[in-house]
Amino acid sequence: MSTGACGTGWSQVAAGMQTFQIHNSSTAGAEVDLINPADGGIYAEVEALGPGTTRPMRVDVGSGRYAFRCLIEDTDALTGPTVRVAGHVKGAAAILPVTTDDLLAPAREYHAYVTGGLSTLVGQTGALAAAIRSGHLATARTAWLAAHLTYERLGAAYGTFGNYDTEIDGRPDGLHGGVSSPEFTGFYRVEYGLWHGQSATELAGPAGQLDQDVRALQAAFPGMEIDLLDLGLRTHEILENALEFQLTGHDDYGSGTTLATTEANVEGTFELLKVLHPLLAARYRQLPAVYTWLDRLQGLVAAARHPNGSWTPVDDLGPSGREQINAAASQALEELAPIAVISEPRRTR
Amino acid sequence: MSEPEAPSAGGATPVPPSRSEAPDLRGRRSFLRGALGAAGIAAGAAGAAAGYGYRASQATAPGQAATDAAAAGRRPAVPFHGKHQAAIVLESQPQTAVVSFNVTAQGRAELTELFQTLTDRARFLTGGGIPPPVGISAPPSDSGVLGPTVVPDGLTVTVGVGASLFDDRYGLAARRPAVLTAMQSFPDDDLDPGQCGGDLSLQLSAGHADVLLHALRDIARHTRGGMQAAWRIDGFASPARPSGSTPRNLMGFMDGIANPSVAAPAQMDSLVWVQPGARGEPAWTSGGSYQAIRLIRMFVEFWDRVAITEQENMIGRRRDTGAPLDASSEFAIPDYTLDPSGAVIPLTAHIRLANPRTPQSRDSRILRRAYNSDRGVDAVGDLDMGLIFTCYQQDIKRQFEAVQKRLIGEPLVDYISPFGGGYFFALPGVVDSNDYYGRALLA
Repeated sequence: MSTGACGTGWSQVAAGMQTFQIHNSSTAGAEVDLINPADGGIYAEVEALGPGTTRPMRVDVGSGRYAFRCLIEDTDALTGPTVRVAGHVKGAAAILPVTTDDLLAPAREYHAYVTGGLSTLVGQTGALAAAIRSGHLATARTAWLAAHLTYERLGAAYGTFGNYDTEIDGRPDGLHGGVSSPEFTGFYRVEYGLWHGQSATELAGPAGQLDQDVRALQAAFPGMEIDLLDLGLRTHEILENALEFQLTGHDDYGSGTTLATTEANVEGTFELLKVLHPLLAARYRQLPAVYTWLDRLQGLVAAARHPNGSWTPVDDLGPSGREQINAAASQALEELAPIAVISEPRRTR
Repeated sequence: MSEPEAPSAGGATPVPPSRSEAPDLRGRRSFLRGALGAAGIAAGAAGAAAGYGYRASQATAPGQAATDAAAAGRRPAVPFHGKHQAAIVLESQPQTAVVSFNVTAQGRAELTELFQTLTDRARFLTGGGIPPPVGISAPPSDSGVLGPTVVPDGLTVTVGVGASLFDDRYGLAARRPAVLTAMQSFPDDDLDPGQCGGDLSLQLSAGHADVLLHALRDIARHTRGGMQAAWRIDGFASPARPSGSTPRNLMGFMDGIANPSVAAPAQMDSLVWVQPGARGEPAWTSGGSYQAIRLIRMFVEFWDRVAITEQENMIGRRRDTGAPLDASSEFAIPDYTLDPSGAVIPLTAHIRLANPRTPQSRDSRILRRAYNSDRGVDAVGDLDMGLIFTCYQQDIKRQFEAVQKRLIGEPLVDYISPFGGGYFFALPGVVDSNDYYGRALLA
């Protein structure tokens, strides 16, 4: 292709599976989309195409209108000629790209949700620290669970929290000395002590530190921005973590509440879906399946909660109950995975 | 174990609203945010290169010949459609994976969907092809483990159902195959419940391990909500050494010399396939076959400390040649009538107990499909090796269990330990593109 031209190397194409060879003859990196010129919906994209390189783009072409749009960095978008495929052949559907602008409102909404959650959280970590200071360890155990679940409901924000998250919800993995390491802090440190016979005196430090870290996070959060890319990514990453660390029992440091954590993570996922729903409704055909499986997972997990507020540890579920939960969580993850791809912010101009 | 005498077939832009420092997009899309000033240029789309094709009507891309050449050293596709599941009558392939699943589908409709999905994936994976592009709608549709084109490499998929599928969950109790039960524990067994049974057995076999694992990941990815893996074991079939002989197990003996002939329809119909109208069998079972899977540990270190004569007397065959002790060639038929007291082939030899070759034992012959397994190291530092014994028959009680009962207490039991497995019913084959696994069962 020559300078100033985009996708002019074709004038007709047959319906069916096609492979286009996309060559970038410019001197800058580019993204090339095959779009429906009527509404800008994207059939296929090639991202980060380096100067002088060629990459294939496979598309199931159906009846309709097609054009290439070239997005060279620091250059306005260039759309090539429209090619029409006649007939009534069903091909791949185009999906409207999500832009940075589209994500600003969801990000604001999510920011407000986290702000509200942090305000609840500081009250709860304060109560936890106070219970430990006064030597009421049974009260502290109840307070610990409430506070931890509030934090876990914020799941989408952990990338934003940065080091605060390590301090507040970090694991002993990789620390020299493991659970005895002085660097092991936060919810899991306090859990370990509360359920391994450590004294109030021993736990006052870690609980006070946790409360202090949560307050520092609350103070810093108004200045933190939610990464727009994270909104989509976290829709599956929250539960990826739940599957890896909670449903395996890895993050059970004594309380046996990893199913409670999983439920909190499902709630966090629902919140993200809520803020993204306006963008997803028209773009993700399988969105109802996401809710079907999250609802099933939530119902199965909630059944592990006893009337007195305690939870069944995953290892006590019995094989069949555990398989049901694992199945619902894994299927929910499969249904959630496309959201990150669909809601990745894309350039259109 | 090395039960020979079974009937032989050988067997951007997001610049996220800035945080204090430069936004971290974890590499994704960062290329577009670079500050390289480019003049007004164009990226170009070179014309439609008609497909690497799975549409016969389209031209062949230049790369196709090379693709074909690369595939040449691989096993051809095994036809997926047929009256029976294909692998049952095929010799063991180089690699296998046996996975037992418990079904988590809720209700008959979800169960049917599960079997339809399993069928679709098996049909695609055994035939090969290029996975469909997804545009910006989803992550890639394929793991990429086999590169851009999925090669069949002889992949076979064998699906069986366990007795537990016929409990009250799906309303199938009245359709349970007549003699399908949970696997019986025999006196010499040491079964681990965690490696026994299951609602559904899936055996994948192919030329190479990457093809197996690709298929397993693909199938699991498409069925996560419907079934969950309960236990799994991988295996391999050794090449024939010397060539032309029957492959050996990890005790060094040829294993499965005396299978029934899959080329003899009469033998298959009388020993392997459930026949229409058979003994109280529900109609849907016709063309299927009972599948017994036994996971057997071999204590190979102990075995290697045993004198060759004793080893051969326990098996009843020569280790080097595979010949029965009363003959000199591998495929010679032992003649027990000339050796009633076991002077040549001991009465307790494995082959003699497994298949006494009497008129009464004729209909207890089984079709064996054995693979070797190798699973690391045990608590005392011994190698955890063994056998994935699989056999097919039209009546698991009349055949596998009868054989197994004759083997109770055989001298070989000191060197082996069955620890897992299960009984399943290998479904009738998927006959065409409209059919699916278990259609008649679920109808």
